[in-house]
Amino acid sequence: MSRRLAIYAVVIVALAAVPIWFESFWLQTGLFAMAAIIAAIGLTILVGIAGQLSLAHAFFVAVGAYGYAYLADKIPPLLAVVAAVLLAGLAGALFSPIAGRVRGIYLGLASLGLVFLGQHILQNATGITGGYRGIAVPPFSVLGFEFTGADGMVVLGVPYGPLEKLWYLGLVLVAVSLWYGRNLVRSRPGRALATVRDSEVAAATNGIDVVRYKAAAFTVSSMYAGLGGVLMALAFGRIVPESFGFLLSVDFLVMVVIGGAGSVGGAAAGAVFVTALPLILNHYSGSLPLLAEPGSGGVGAAELSRLLYGAAIVAVLLFARDGLAGLVHRKERVV
Amino acid sequence: MVEVAVTAPAVLDVHDLRVSYAGAVQALRGVSLSVPEGSVVAVLGNNGAGKSTLLRALSGTLPAQNGAVTGGTIAFAGREQPRDAAAIARGGLVQVPEGRRVFSNLTVEENLRAGGLAAPDKAARAEARAWVDELFPILRERATQRAGLLSGGEQQMLAIGRALMASPKVLLLDEPSLGLAPKIVERVGEVIREINDRGVTVVLVEQNAAMALSVADHAVVLEVGEVALQGTADELAESEAVKERYLGVPRATSTAERVESHAQPLEVEALSVRFGGLAALSDVSFTVEPGSLHALIGPNGAGKSTCLNVLSGVYEATAGSVRYGGRELTKLRPHRIAALGVARTFQNIALSPRVSVLDNLLVARHRLMRSGFLADGLRLPAARRERAEHEARVREIAELLGLTELERPVGTLSYGTRKRVELARALCAEPELLLLDEPVAGMVRDESAAMAEAITRSRAELGISVLLVEHDMTFVMGMADRVTVLDFGKRIADGTPAEVQRDAEVLRAYLGGAA
Amino acid sequence: MNQFVTLLVGGLFLGAIYSLVALGFVTVFKATHVINFAQGSVLLLGAYVIARLHESLGFWPAVAVGLLAAAACSVLIDVVLIRRIRRADLGTLAILTLGVDILLATELSRRIGTDVLNIGAPWGNHVTELFGIRVATSRVVAGCVAAVLVAGFWAAFKFTDWGIAMRSAAEDGETASLMGIRLNRVAAAAWALAGALAAVGGLFLTSFPAAGVTGGVGVLALACIPAVVLGGFDSPGGAVIGGLIIGVVSVLTAGYQEELSFLGRGLGGVAPFAVMLLVLLIRPSGLFGTRELTRV
Repeated sequence: MSRRLAIYAVVIVALAAVPIWFESFWLQTGLFAMAAIIAAIGLTILVGIAGQLSLAHAFFVAVGAYGYAYLADKIPPLLAVVAAVLLAGLAGALFSPIAGRVRGIYLGLASLGLVFLGQHILQNATGITGGYRGIAVPPFSVLGFEFTGADGMVVLGVPYGPLEKLWYLGLVLVAVSLWYGRNLVRSRPGRALATVRDSEVAAATNGIDVVRYKAAAFTVSSMYAGLGGVLMALAFGRIVPESFGFLLSVDFLVMVVIGGAGSVGGAAAGAVFVTALPLILNHYSGSLPLLAEPGSGGVGAAELSRLLYGAAIVAVLLFARDGLAGLVHRKERVV
Repeated sequence: MVEVAVTAPAVLDVHDLRVSYAGAVQALRGVSLSVPEGSVVAVLGNNGAGKSTLLRALSGTLPAQNGAVTGGTIAFAGREQPRDAAAIARGGLVQVPEGRRVFSNLTVEENLRAGGLAAPDKAARAEARAWVDELFPILRERATQRAGLLSGGEQQMLAIGRALMASPKVLLLDEPSLGLAPKIVERVGEVIREINDRGVTVVLVEQNAAMALSVADHAVVLEVGEVALQGTADELAESEAVKERYLGVPRATSTAERVESHAQPLEVEALSVRFGGLAALSDVSFTVEPGSLHALIGPNGAGKSTCLNVLSGVYEATAGSVRYGGRELTKLRPHRIAALGVARTFQNIALSPRVSVLDNLLVARHRLMRSGFLADGLRLPAARRERAEHEARVREIAELLGLTELERPVGTLSYGTRKRVELARALCAEPELLLLDEPVAGMVRDESAAMAEAITRSRAELGISVLLVEHDMTFVMGMADRVTVLDFGKRIADGTPAEVQRDAEVLRAYLGGAA
Repeated sequence: MNQFVTLLVGGLFLGAIYSLVALGFVTVFKATHVINFAQGSVLLLGAYVIARLHESLGFWPAVAVGLLAAAACSVLIDVVLIRRIRRADLGTLAILTLGVDILLATELSRRIGTDVLNIGAPWGNHVTELFGIRVATSRVVAGCVAAVLVAGFWAAFKFTDWGIAMRSAAEDGETASLMGIRLNRVAAAAWALAGALAAVGGLFLTSFPAAGVTGGVGVLALACIPAVVLGGFDSPGGAVIGGLIIGVVSVLTAGYQEELSFLGRGLGGVAPFAVMLLVLLIRPSGLFGTRELTRV
C-alpha cells in the first residue's frame, strides 16, 4: 500500500513539474490529450458500459465548448464551466427519447444525424457561435486568479502563461474524471448499465428501469463530453465549427475501441494515442526522414498519422478485441 | 460399448464423439452410433441430453454456437465428414432444422428452389420436385404464397420437402413433431416412412418417444451427453426404463410441504397470448398459493415460457388477467413487477459474462438499494455503507447456494455453476415469488439433484412461493405441491403430482397417441 | 410551380444515384450484417480509377476497370478482414469498416492531393431539355442507368438461383448453409456487388454538375446513410425509395434556400439527416425495415 502511495506521489510530482521543463508545444498537446481523455471516458461509459452505440459525441463536446465560450463573458468562468457541463448533459437527456426507442445500429446512425445537425447550427447561429469564423474563448479564472500571462507569474525561472496554468486545471479535471468514472463502473448505477448492455430483459426483470437508465447514460456521457469540450475550448483559445464534426466523433469512438470498450483507463490511453499521435508526428516531420512535405506527393505527417490510426483500429479489432486494457490485464477467456 | 445391431452396412458411422461448447461445457462425452443404410434411427432424450448437439456435429453447424468436436470421428459413406455445413449438405447429408425454420419471406416455390441448390444436377432436381409434389400436394397449391403464412404443419411439410429437393442420401430430422397437433404428428410419421421406403436413410431426433419409436427401426436414448439405452425400436417401446424417464416416479420422501410465507397468492385467470396469428397461450388459469412450490410443465412448445414471460412483464397478454396481491400485473412494465417482489431466472442464462459473480448478484439488489449517480459515483459514506450491507447479504445467499470465487467473471464458470448463479441472483432480490424457467435444463444428474436441493432449501429458509417451469417431469414430481400441465397453449391438467401423473391427457401429451 | 417541378425532377435524378449506393449498403447488410462505412472510400476508389485511366484507355474501358477495382477492393475487405470476425457484434464490425475507410480514404486523398480530377465522361457538361425542364445530361444518364440497374437487381434477386441463395442466406444463414448454400460465396458476391454499385454512384456523383473527383468525394456516401436508415436497413426496396426521398429533400431544401433562410444556409446538406431523425422518432426501424423482436 505504501509503495503504491509512493508511486502515486512520484507520478503527481512529475506531472506537476511538466510545465517547468517542457515547451509550449508539449503543453498544448498535453491539454488536447487531457480534453480528449475526459470526453473519451464519457463515451466509454455510454458505449462500453451501457452498450449504446453513439456517433454523436462530437456534438455534445461542441455544446460544452461553445457553452463555455458563450457564457464565460457573462457569468464568472467557473459558473460557466458548470453551466456548460449541465447544458451538455441536458442535450444528452433531450436526445434520449430517440435513444430510448431506437436500438443498436439504428441508434448509432441516428446519432450521426445529430453531428450534422450540430454542424448546421454552429455554422448558422452566428449570434452565439460566430458562424464559420468561430469565437474567441474567454480565459478561465477562479477566485480572482486569472489563467492568463497578464500577472507576470514566474515559477523557478519559467514564466507561467495560460498554457502552464491550464495544465494544472487539466490535471485536476482529468483526475476527478478518472476517479468518478472508475467509481461509477463499480457502483449501483454502473452495474445497472452493464446489465442493460448485456440483456435489457434481464435488467428490467431485476427492477431496473431500462428507459431511464439509458437516458441517464446519455446524460452522464454528455456531461463528460461537455467538460472535455470546455477544456478543449480553453486549449484552443478560439473555436470553429469544423473542429467538432463527424471526424471528431469517429476519433472518440476509435479512442474507446483502441482502449478497450468499457475500460476507463483504456479510454484514457486511447485518447492520448489518438490525439497526440498526429500532433507529435507533425512536430517532428522535419526531422523524420520518411516523411514528405505536404503536397509533394509522398506520405506526410498528417497522412502517416491517419494511416497508423486506421491500422490501429483494424489491428485491435482483429487481434486484441479487449484493446489496450485487455493487453494490460490479461484476463481469463470469457465465453 | 454395444453397437446398434447392424443389418446393413453403415452409411453414417459416429465413433466416440466428444463435443464441447466454448471450450468448457462438455455436451457430448463419447457418443457412438452406427446408422445402417436404408434404416430409420431415432435419437431420444430430454432437453439438454445432447440430441441437438449430435445433429449439429453431423451437419457441421457447431461453430455457429461456439461449439467444437474435441474427439472422435464421424464417417459418412465411408469417408470422413467435411467440416463445412454447405459441403456436407451437398454431399447428401441434409438436415431439417428444429422449429422448421422455413424462409418465411420467400414463397413456397422459392423455398423448394433454395433446397434444390444442393442437388447434384438438373435431373436430380426435377425428379426430387416431382416427388415432393406427390408427397405434399398442399405445397403445390400454395406455391406462390409466402412460407411465413403457412400453418405449423404445412411449414413442417415444406421444411421436409425443401430438404428432399437436395436429393439426400441421409435425412436428419430435428424434432419434427415439435409443437404440432397429434393428427399432424401422425402424418409426419407417415411421411418419414414414405421417404424411407424410397431408400433414404433417416436419423430422427425426437422428444416425442411414442412417435419416434413407432417409425424407427433402431433407437438410442441419450442422457447428459452419453448413450444411456439403445436397441431396436420395439425393445425400447416395451422398456420400463423409457417409461420411467418420461413420466418420472414420485420419490418416497416427497418434500412437498407448505412453508411459512409472507407472499401473496398469484392468480392467473383466462390468460391468452397471441403472436400474429399464432395462439401461444389460450385461456389458461391457475393459482400459486403463498409458500407453495407450483410446477408448470408440458412438452416443448406448450407455452410454459410464454406464460412466465407474461407473468414477469416481458410479453404482453392478449387477454385475461394476472393478479399478485391485488395488483394487476399485465398492465405493469417488468421493472415495476420486480419491485413488487417477483424475481425470475432465464432458461438461457441472462447474466453479464464479463462481470464478476458478485456484481452480477448485486444487480438483483438494485431495487433494494438507493444510491445513485451522485452518491455512489462520489463514494459518499452513505453509499459505501449501503454497499457493504448489501454485499454481506449477497455473500450469505451465495453461500447458501454453495457459490465460491465471487470475484471471477461469470463467463469463465461452468454451465452448471452459471445456472446456480442465475438462481442466486433471483434470490438476492429477496423475492416473495420466484419464477424459475427450466432451472435444470442441460444439467447432468448430480447437478440437477443439487439444484433441486438448492431450490427446496431456499424456499424453506426464505419463505417464498416458487413457480417452476420445467420440461423434465421427473425433476418436478419429487418437489412440487401442485402441478399445472400445458399442451398447445392450453391447460390440460391441474392437481397434485400424483393426480397429474395418472391423468390420461397428460400421458398422451408426453408419450403420444400410442400410450 | 415551374421551379418546384424542376427541383423535383433534379432531386429524383440525384436520388437515383443515392439509391444505387444505398442499395449496395443494404445488400452488404442483408448478406453479412455489416454496416459498411468503407462504402464511401470504395466509391472514391472507383471514381479515382476512372478519372486516372480514361485518358489512356478511353472512357468506357476505364469505367469497366473502375467497377472491377471497386468490386475487388470491396470483396477483399470482406474476405481478408470481415470474415475473420464474422460473428462479432454489429458495432465492432461497423468500427472495423470505419478503420478500413480511414486507411483507404487517406491514401486516395493523398494521391489526389489538392487536384480536381475530371471523370472524362462523354456527356461532359451538356444539358438536356426534358419537357421544358433543363437537366444536366449526366443526371439523365444516371437516372436511366439507375433504373436499369435497380430493375436488373430486382429481377436477379427474384428469379435467379443466385438471388434465391442470397435471400435465403439473408433470412437465416444457418438454415441456408444446411441447404448447401455457401455463405462465404454469397457474402463475397454481395460485397462485390456493393463495390460495383458504389463505383457507379461515384462516377455520377463526380460528373457535371459536380466539379470532379476530389479527396472529399468519399464523404458523399455519408449522405446515403439517411437514405438507408429511412428505408429500413434490411429492405432493398426501402433503400431505393429512401435514396429518392433524400435526393428530393436535399435538392428542394437547397433550391428553396431563400424562402427557408430562417433555417440557415447550407440546408441541403443537413435536411436529409433531420428527416432521418424525425422518421426514426416515429418509426424506430425506418419506413420499411423489419422490427427487431425482443427475444428471451
